[in-house]
Amino acid sequence: MSRNRLLFIITSALFFLLPVLLLVLQSVSETWRFQAGQGFTFQLDSFEVLTSDPNLWSATGWSIAIGAGVLVTNLLIGILTGKALATMDFKGKSFVEAMMLSPILIPVLAIAMGLHLFMIRIGLADTLAGVILIHLVPTVPYSVKIFQNAYRQMGSDLLEQPLILGATPVHQLFTVELPLMKPAIRSVTFLTIVISLSQYAITAIIGGGTVITLPMVFFPFLDTANASIMAAFSIWFAMIPLLLYVIMEAILLLLPYTNIPWRNRT
Amino acid sequence: MKWFKTRSYYLFIPSVLFLLIPLYGLGSAIAQSVRDNGAFTFQYYTSLFESERFLTSAGFSLQVSLVSSLLSLIIGLWITRACYPLLEKYTPRLIVWLPMLFPHFVWGYMVILLLSESGVLSQWMQMTGLIGVPADFPVWTRDPYGIGITLTYVWKEVPFVILMLLPVYASIKPEFYDLVQSLGGGAWERFKTVEWPHLLPVVVESFLIIFAFTLSAYEVPALLGTTYPEMLSVLSYDWFYGSVWEDRPLAFAAMSLMSVFLLMITCVAYLYLNRKRWRAMRGRIE
Repeated sequence: MSRNRLLFIITSALFFLLPVLLLVLQSVSETWRFQAGQGFTFQLDSFEVLTSDPNLWSATGWSIAIGAGVLVTNLLIGILTGKALATMDFKGKSFVEAMMLSPILIPVLAIAMGLHLFMIRIGLADTLAGVILIHLVPTVPYSVKIFQNAYRQMGSDLLEQPLILGATPVHQLFTVELPLMKPAIRSVTFLTIVISLSQYAITAIIGGGTVITLPMVFFPFLDTANASIMAAFSIWFAMIPLLLYVIMEAILLLLPYTNIPWRNRT
Repeated sequence: MKWFKTRSYYLFIPSVLFLLIPLYGLGSAIAQSVRDNGAFTFQYYTSLFESERFLTSAGFSLQVSLVSSLLSLIIGLWITRACYPLLEKYTPRLIVWLPMLFPHFVWGYMVILLLSESGVLSQWMQMTGLIGVPADFPVWTRDPYGIGITLTYVWKEVPFVILMLLPVYASIKPEFYDLVQSLGGGAWERFKTVEWPHLLPVVVESFLIIFAFTLSAYEVPALLGTTYPEMLSVLSYDWFYGSVWEDRPLAFAAMSLMSVFLLMITCVAYLYLNRKRWRAMRGRIE
């Protein structure tokens, strides 16, 4: 056991912690030239150069707007479908489950290319709504799965109780289901935002150069910027899921039965 | 309770509407790959199979994604198996999932920063005198073998595999292990008879997700690949967005082929798992 423990600490530190640490250090240091004896020199110019780029701010705005839209739609579809799949038994259920998983097994690039003409025809190409729609494809299957597991763990007793006591479905959702599903909501928040931030090709196809998101600024930067600025940009990417996570956490505080000081006063 | 049950089917409305997006997209991509000015044609497929560029690219893509997914699964399974009691705790789990905070191409940049010829590792090796000049460092990024792409994918997908496998290990009852032990089985028997049957469906599902993703994703190969051989996704994107308008149907044909291929693998896996489940059930009844 202790051998495994040591092995784990070394592996995780070397492969997961160290790279992120190096990235953070590089972002606040001059570009490294260890072989020439130049090591860590503190600077914040990299962040200054990055944040003085006007494209960065508008792209951040687009990315957050898309991320928020994708997240809200994911929560809606995920909660409803997850509940249905966890609580209902019907013929062909395993087929429906497989269907719900299928969008992440079909290349999203093929879907985006196929939808391109249709999006132009109905006026959704080059718009925020169009990009949100295409970003749903690689995210919704995960959300459905996460909420299905959450409802299954909750068990049918807790879902029948409010029904017997005469709660409306909406009342039940806010007083029983959502407070018990906070971990699931957190996971979905992280996953959907990160996946949405990772899409370059499909955003370019549906967004058509009007919707410029962060990845579209990142790719050309690679040819011109030095390592410090690129590291700063990488850190910037990680900040966005964290920011939306904090916002989501604040929203979750509004749910009933949450441990917050002003509500627990006797 | 019948009223409640029938009403519940309304819960499926949003997901059915959602499924229309990928279904229409795929259908339209396939339709556009077999149409030439309104007439049905297979000419784009024949020109694909005559194209040396396409065949090389397809082989390269298959190789990179197969190696990436298998390596991710093996390493992820190994870490989960060896360290699963530790991973139940909050902090170790958080550290393992740290790479999931970054998009794939950002992690790709990390690979460039650390492992390129002028990267941190190479600099450090020069400093300590392990290698003389940057050219002594092996070419791991933008290389013709897809090493950089594979490295990025494995690094990013191992945490995903751990995320998928952890609940399985948590759900295995310790009594099973006791049984194997009292019957005199070793570590291998424990893995084969207790863990593997639990793991199999999740392992197959994880493999399909990772394989489909690595085969078709554009971002990482665009960042870490080279011009020859190139991944199929990059080639198709070029055909779709390139200067030659006539190449666009080729992009549709290539992506349709890839989609059909992935759907076929999924069906085989689904039937295989279902047959296994059915057999297990019959064994219990008889």
